[in-house]
Amino acid sequence: MPENRDPLRYFRVEARELVEQISSGVLDLDQRPGPEPVAKLLRVAHTLKGAARVVRQKEIADRAHEFEEILIPHRDDPAGLAADQMRELLRLNDEISAQVAALTRPAAPVERKPEPEEPAEPVAHRASSGDLDELLDSIGEASSRMAPLRAGCRTVENLHRSAEVLADQLRGGRAATAVTRASAQRLAGDLGAAGRRFIDAVDQIERELAEVRAKAEGLRLVPAGSIFTVLHRAARDAADAEDKRVRFTAHGADVRMGSHLLGPVSAAFQHVVRNAVVHGLEPQAERIAAGKAPEGSVTFEVERDGRFAVFRCTDDGRGFDVAALRAKAQARGLLAAGEAEVLDLVLHGGLSTSETVTEVAGRAIGMDVLRDVAAQLHGEVKIRSTPGAGATVQLSVPLALLSMTGLLVEAGGTVVSLPLDSVRACVRLSVAEAATAAATGKLVFEGTAAPFRPLVEMLYTGRTVPDAAGPGAAVMVDAGQGVVAVGVDGLCGTHALVARPLPGLAPSTPVIGSVSLDADGNPRLVLDPAGLASALLRDDSGPRAASAPAAPPLPILVVDDSLTTRMLERSILESAGYQVDLAASGEEGLDRARSRRYGLFLTDIDMPGIDGFSFVERTRADPELAGVPAILVSSRASAEDRDRGTAAGASAYIVKGEFDQEELLAHIRRLVVRA
Amino acid sequence: MTDSIRTRVERLRADFDHSFSVPLRTLDDETVELLAIGVGGRSYALRLSQTSGLHPDRPVTPLPTAVRALRGLAGFAGVAVPVYDLATLLGHPIGDEPRWLVLAGGAPPLALAFHRLDHHVRVRSADVVDGSAAAAVPQGCLRGMVRLPDGNRPIVDVAATRALAHRMAGHEHSEVTT
Repeated sequence: MPENRDPLRYFRVEARELVEQISSGVLDLDQRPGPEPVAKLLRVAHTLKGAARVVRQKEIADRAHEFEEILIPHRDDPAGLAADQMRELLRLNDEISAQVAALTRPAAPVERKPEPEEPAEPVAHRASSGDLDELLDSIGEASSRMAPLRAGCRTVENLHRSAEVLADQLRGGRAATAVTRASAQRLAGDLGAAGRRFIDAVDQIERELAEVRAKAEGLRLVPAGSIFTVLHRAARDAADAEDKRVRFTAHGADVRMGSHLLGPVSAAFQHVVRNAVVHGLEPQAERIAAGKAPEGSVTFEVERDGRFAVFRCTDDGRGFDVAALRAKAQARGLLAAGEAEVLDLVLHGGLSTSETVTEVAGRAIGMDVLRDVAAQLHGEVKIRSTPGAGATVQLSVPLALLSMTGLLVEAGGTVVSLPLDSVRACVRLSVAEAATAAATGKLVFEGTAAPFRPLVEMLYTGRTVPDAAGPGAAVMVDAGQGVVAVGVDGLCGTHALVARPLPGLAPSTPVIGSVSLDADGNPRLVLDPAGLASALLRDDSGPRAASAPAAPPLPILVVDDSLTTRMLERSILESAGYQVDLAASGEEGLDRARSRRYGLFLTDIDMPGIDGFSFVERTRADPELAGVPAILVSSRASAEDRDRGTAAGASAYIVKGEFDQEELLAHIRRLVVRA
Repeated sequence: MTDSIRTRVERLRADFDHSFSVPLRTLDDETVELLAIGVGGRSYALRLSQTSGLHPDRPVTPLPTAVRALRGLAGFAGVAVPVYDLATLLGHPIGDEPRWLVLAGGAPPLALAFHRLDHHVRVRSADVVDGSAAAAVPQGCLRGMVRLPDGNRPIVDVAATRALAHRMAGHEHSEVTT
């Protein structure tokens, strides 16, 4: 049995989790003395001691016991532990960690082969048990949705029997017509009800499975918080060695990313954090003299910025000594005049900010490691320094996999995701409001006019899109450059997604940030809020026509037997900057259509001879003309006519009675073929 | 069962079992496998050996892009693969909605979309006329012709087509697998 061969199988897992809790607990206690962290540490150490005894790991149990002995007198002590006691706790913590890490799998009975070494950076590659619990819950939820389906299967069997009875009745001809009709109606009713129940059940299962899939994908990603303890410890140890006091804070524990990123980032930032403590933070007396808090502060932040993960280490120390660095650079014959150039030299190695080479942070090794990691992860390093006030070292790396919550929005028949954390609000738009917003390019939100643009225009792919009523809602997006309004046809809910960068062979506009796969495995585009905002803000600064792509639209052919309509449409189109040709009948329209390249046909329906439907059908059937979109304009408003128009191949249908210049232009902007 | 039949059955069984352990037999040099396809209203052929999959009616998510031949992305085994319109790459105006996607051999993943699949044929090498020898500079994405009963077809060189797609996308073209 495997348990017999490997008695430590479960202990190893449990011990690693407990050690992780002890490590973060000790640092927590260091910063926040009080009975509560003491109690928590005692609980964890006690659990570890018990478990270690069960599997006869005496060394670990003894260390855990010593650990407890130090803590017990401080159970109700708000003052906290003395410095040497803290140091002893950290020492025991390290010893326990090392022993737990050394619990390798039992070797082959005869010969003991060296085990492959653990990776240098202990980053939690395993999924946390909380994530697994959530996944299991979702699977349970999805399974429970099977019950209605199973019930439905029995219903179908019953209905099958009813149908056979009815068939018998009909075959025999004995039952009265009224009876068979009643049976048939009942059967139809039952079938309808069963069908609706099936649809509901299948919809629910689909949703649940999508959730399961998203959670399972999420397991491939590790929360950034898993490297905080190591960094905290690095800051603490450096401060201890330098006899400084430091408060370490970390933000963004929940940002998730691939563990292949977190390992190197953790390694590099251990150096950065040490540097911040050793080189950045002033000695206590100096801090007090400068009017600063005696305790230095080092902050580590992780955040997601579009497709990038940003790691930032900020200290409130003296900042980089640019003058000294410049002197040092010049002494070595390096040319660096401006502050930026000097900081660049720090980044590119060879210049340390410390007067003395200490054991903790010697030379510029830390920066070299950070630079190497940045190169390895295709990232970028930035340094900001304010003399006397502190420095910030920032690394941004592009994310290959990114877990986020998306708002699904529909525009022009396409559903795309918008990262929910950039959405400020969703506003329902009436037809009139949508028209005003489209015409002015502005939408009033919270007392200010936000730049507005329908998403469908930004998603233009050169292909015709199904006719839609136009924006029914606006999503207010804030990507840090101010709020912009994006018009969408509808909102379809939120979902968890894992986004990947677009493939290299699929260059797109800045509006598209990444791609995810939907429940069916089909790609779904994920918008980049910053790209959306800059597209909108850029357009906002110039005239609206500037938003058009560089290629000019091909001319538009207007086909209408009414002179008034022809002239009206021509004036609308020409004032919108289009070149227009006119035809007074379907026949003339076809002739002209073949005579030159058009970007769009705009045609009436009711004309003598070839009517609008036929005109559209004939142009669709002609390989030369099929690519030119056609819009029908008619006084006919029935759904039947609209359907006929769609069937003929028209890309949009506009009713003259509801004629709205902006709506027409919006359709044309969306559809027209460009040179 | 007589002994001779038993021996024969056993031999057949052994042959059958053995057939799973030998690598898939590559066709001898005498024949070439081709896909006869219709693109932009014209007939072409593709070398099957240059492709790695053929899929009908796979949804393609359109992508706003400045690359005219790039139709969008399609999902293959959990990967979003760029789909290029073969008609556009061959210089035909965009006409019919492509129904078929063929995965081009090589890396990174790339799918080519075309409208019509006529048939899959195996022809003698002698029926394939190598055009590259005739023309010192190969012409676009086409390399040679094949004689088929329904007429001659130019052969689309998938590697050259991939190279063209890489250039259009501004993608560093590091690998061409023929």
